[in-house]
Amino acid sequence: MKREMGVGRLFCWLSGILTTSICLGILIYIAVRGAPALNWDFISKSPEMSLLGDGLAGGILSPLLGTLGLVTLGMLLALPWAAAMAVYYAEYAGDNWPAYILRIGNDVLAGVPTIVIALFGLVIFSYPELSFLSIKIEGVENGKAFGRSYLVASITMAVMVLPYVTKSVEEAIMAVSHTYREAAYALGVSKWRTIQKVVLPAAYRGIVSGAVLGVGRIASDVAIVWFCLGATITYSGPENWWQPQNWAATLRSAGNTLSSYIYYASPVGEGNNADRAYGAALVLILMILLLNAVANYVSRLSRIKSRLFNARGAECDGENIIEDIPSRI
Amino acid sequence: MRKIPIAETLIEKMLFIFTVAGSLVIFFVIFYIFSNGLPVLKASGLSFFTTGGWDGQFTSAWTAAPGQEIWRFGAVELIAGTLLTTGGALLVAGLLGMGCAVFLAEFCPPRLRRPVEACVRLLAGIPPVIYGVVGYTTVVPLVQSLISDQLALEMVRICVLDGTSLLAGIMVLGIMITPIFVILATDALETVPLAYKAASLALGVSHWRTIVKIMIPVARRGILAGGIMAAGMAAGEFIAMAMVAGGVAFLPNPAHGLLFFLEPVRTLAANVFINSEVLGKANMESALFACASVILFICIIFSLLAQLINRPNLKGGRSR
Repeated sequence: MKREMGVGRLFCWLSGILTTSICLGILIYIAVRGAPALNWDFISKSPEMSLLGDGLAGGILSPLLGTLGLVTLGMLLALPWAAAMAVYYAEYAGDNWPAYILRIGNDVLAGVPTIVIALFGLVIFSYPELSFLSIKIEGVENGKAFGRSYLVASITMAVMVLPYVTKSVEEAIMAVSHTYREAAYALGVSKWRTIQKVVLPAAYRGIVSGAVLGVGRIASDVAIVWFCLGATITYSGPENWWQPQNWAATLRSAGNTLSSYIYYASPVGEGNNADRAYGAALVLILMILLLNAVANYVSRLSRIKSRLFNARGAECDGENIIEDIPSRI
Repeated sequence: MRKIPIAETLIEKMLFIFTVAGSLVIFFVIFYIFSNGLPVLKASGLSFFTTGGWDGQFTSAWTAAPGQEIWRFGAVELIAGTLLTTGGALLVAGLLGMGCAVFLAEFCPPRLRRPVEACVRLLAGIPPVIYGVVGYTTVVPLVQSLISDQLALEMVRICVLDGTSLLAGIMVLGIMITPIFVILATDALETVPLAYKAASLALGVSHWRTIVKIMIPVARRGILAGGIMAAGMAAGEFIAMAMVAGGVAFLPNPAHGLLFFLEPVRTLAANVFINSEVLGKANMESALFACASVILFICIIFSLLAQLINRPNLKGGRSR
């Protein structure tokens, strides 16, 4: 009996330690391999193909901007949509079967792999009617038009992250105490105004964490970049993309992101330049870490605020103590 | 009773339209993927699931003369590759993840809890392509060191043994899906009512026996749902598998003994990615969509199963 317990406990400790050390190991490995590649030129130059030497030259400017642009566009589409869905699920839809079916649809979509969503985007945007969204079009001779552009990719990305963001926001809205709503109703405030002015501000922690989740998934995806953005290694849009008159053309051009650049530069891809792949991987990891740190800071900030300004903070403390009891036995 | 203002009803209707649109996306996904994969699935029939030779068929379909397009394909290697990597990864994730979840829920000192949880969450957030690169430069050489030159020479007629293998695929995929399983299983273990545990401890049952006999059985639904969701994730993973499991559509032969694990595989999802240059050729494109249909079908079944097991009106520790 005693020995059985010792073995079990040891196994659990070992798996905990192993999981933690794998995580730290991956991070340290990427940092060590990627750090030498990082310098100003690497950040500020666009990738180039060179036929001599290592095949891939230049830096990661255009993939970096591609990731940032795609994340911004994708979240601009996904976040309001997801917020609307979450508000509907949490506040308007009751516990009836139509709502249940809608929820199932959402849950199943969350389980669909990105590569399938990417193929779906490919089919949808191969209708010639939608080809105005992109400049680079392939396969016209077969009556199809595989449109590939930032716009096409960000719409597909929005569909991909929609269920995750919805779920996260919905949970946050559900967690808002019912007394808040009752207080607003008692003052004669209408339902929508209550949601707008009371529920959503109270749930903004969850909205931020949902947005972070979505950003992380968009930034790490390769399939949609591959099928809907073209994953061209060199930037193909207008020369001076930062000038406002070129923005529309830039969005309609094909491009790449950090994740597709990492694949391209990896020993498996055509670039075959592991140092640059690790440099780009380090930049991507740092972006994700920074994002999580910001989200963490926001949520901690609001927790401190709530502790200062209302009784909920004290309530939470009480709960924490009760939750801690099992570990103190 | 006061009348509800028009603006309020209008907003409700608008939100409803958004919600329906968002939920209907899945039906469009299913419709378009299946309808595009149908020509090949119909032409191949059951032989899509029972016969092999994908690479050869693809080469001959690529070079076929116009008018003599091949519509029959067999994907048994790919399906076997998907099942083998997913099953193996689930085994790794089940062992490692269950230990880690019990550790987090029961044994972890309160001071260590936040950092360990942060690590698990971070592991879940690392992009698959980075797992692929790291796996290719660390795990694959490790596996390669298991293979002697002589052995590789003997096997070269059957398949190339260069380290990209089923074993490497299982290891990388297992580590990829462990964190998601840990998060869900920890949640499930934590929803077990404290009174159950307290009652068991009060009867003088040891902590470990309480966990094995009371907490895990009570939380089994949540744990099972977590495992199913992790399996769905593993089945759809493509880029890391394309990098570390080998790009050859090869059916590992169990007759080779332990060598089985050192032979390359290709999963359905990786196949869609690797063969993506054929888009535009109707028959081969349809073959890729047929692969995607199979993945989509597997993932939908997994999602529905997880929903069913985790239904709110059932007793037992549920995640979420």
